[in-house]
Amino acid sequence: MTRLAVSARVVTAPVAAASGPVVLAAVTAVAVIAAAASPVAVVAADRAAGAVKGDRELGQYLSSECVTCHQISGRYDGIPPIVGWPEESFVEILSEYRDKKRENQVMRSIAVKFSDEEIAALAAYFGSLKPRTD
Amino acid sequence: MIAVTRRVFSVASLAGVAAVAFPAVLRGQAKPRLVVIGGGPAGATVAKYVAKDSNGAIDVTLVEPLAKFVTCFHSNLYLGDFRSWDSIAHDYKLDAYGVKHVRQAASAIDRDKKQVRLADGSTLDYDRLVVAPGIDLAFDSVPGWSEEAAEVMPHAWKPGPQTQLLKTRLDALQDGATIVMVAPPNPYRCPPGPYERVSCMAAVLKKKGHSKSRIVVVDPKDRFSKMALFQEGWQAHYPGMVEWMDPKMHGGLKSVDPKTGTVVTDLETIKADLVNVIPKQMAGKIARDAGLANGTGYCPIDPATMKSAQDPNIFVLGDAAIAGAMPKSAFSANSQAKVVALAVRGELTGSRVFPARYANTCWSVIAADDTVKIGGRYEPKDGAIAEVEGFVSKTGEDKDVRRQTSEENMGWYKGIVADIFA
Repeated sequence: MTRLAVSARVVTAPVAAASGPVVLAAVTAVAVIAAAASPVAVVAADRAAGAVKGDRELGQYLSSECVTCHQISGRYDGIPPIVGWPEESFVEILSEYRDKKRENQVMRSIAVKFSDEEIAALAAYFGSLKPRTD
Repeated sequence: MIAVTRRVFSVASLAGVAAVAFPAVLRGQAKPRLVVIGGGPAGATVAKYVAKDSNGAIDVTLVEPLAKFVTCFHSNLYLGDFRSWDSIAHDYKLDAYGVKHVRQAASAIDRDKKQVRLADGSTLDYDRLVVAPGIDLAFDSVPGWSEEAAEVMPHAWKPGPQTQLLKTRLDALQDGATIVMVAPPNPYRCPPGPYERVSCMAAVLKKKGHSKSRIVVVDPKDRFSKMALFQEGWQAHYPGMVEWMDPKMHGGLKSVDPKTGTVVTDLETIKADLVNVIPKQMAGKIARDAGLANGTGYCPIDPATMKSAQDPNIFVLGDAAIAGAMPKSAFSANSQAKVVALAVRGELTGSRVFPARYANTCWSVIAADDTVKIGGRYEPKDGAIAEVEGFVSKTGEDKDVRRQTSEENMGWYKGIVADIFA
């Protein structure tokens, strides 16, 4: 149900979000996903979500690589936050970087060697976190 | 006889297996001790992650004399007026994770006793030691230059007063000035750094309206990181200001003279108003003194864990290590630190260990809203850390792409300093 809600919002996300800077201050996590994901994520809505059951401990280790840029607090300072996303959206987007369907070179390089299991693990870990509000 | 032997063997095997799984716990020791030498991107990250993820099961001591750490990364942006000094200085907030910060320099490592000697003569015992001292500068590698001469011809390759000295000198230059940068030989800290610095110095001169000042780079290399990108950018933003010379063009650096401000190459003598000498580099002294370095001056490691090739109780990472295809950068050091933290916890508490993954990206500022990047993903392969995927910005990129890369650079900085220090 969360997936559907997110997908619906992604559909309405502005196209510019894909190429322009992601500007947000007090927006919701859902909006973050929409902006970072771009309309390509609409495809995700059509895919069976399945049961994404990631290994959280593996995810925690792998996440240490992500938080070099993406702040664990969920704070935005020029790099999109990735905490608190629905797992299936996270899986979809990271898989698209791995498959070179998304543009950012850093993310393509980071994602290139991820297995499905590792992506699921990251999704489980980051999905379990909440953005800090302080 | 045989039966007894077998039984003894079996018991020993079980004990061995258990010791691997729960070494410290099984042997009923007090908390295992990790000592980390060096509070930069490598050492501070290891200290934080071991303390945080072991939930207090490992006693973590960080040996670092500074209370506030100024980052070498983005110090060029300070030179170029793209950010303030305060914004690149960071307090350590690692006590929240249980890291003990000993505000002293480490003076020696006794590998047999597994002890670190501190500047005041006291010692720290360790079960595992992380050595992350960064680089030392080879002051004798440039004839005529020395540690004292660096007060006149600054290196500014270690952050702190040297960086501020170079900034003061840069800001005082009048139009028509000549800056000479003596660039370093490979391998050195931050491969694109000298050329980003040229860009940032040029940005200051341009902003001040200089039309006759020039920046001459005397380089011992015939090519450098992001070369095409920098050269394109210099031409676009600072036409005629930057003159880069490879060995074929200058014939070799002969000497510098701090008294007269001259730089002598095989082909000419350049009178300069400001000379920035970035010399040859090597692993920090404490690592070399402990026998952790080889003939290259840097420290060989096991690429799967960053464990020293010389000592199974010691890990070496960051700029001091020979990390194969990974450049000496804060990003690399921070990435390696996560692998080390996992390996240390695995050895000391039996926690799960996953295969090493390494990554790096180096952003370089050419001008305001014009930043480029290079990076890659790395894995252990055939005894070294090898690149498995790499990328670099393209020449002729759209302004929007460069602006986005600039934002990414600033965002990355906020991210990594939070990851290291907070």
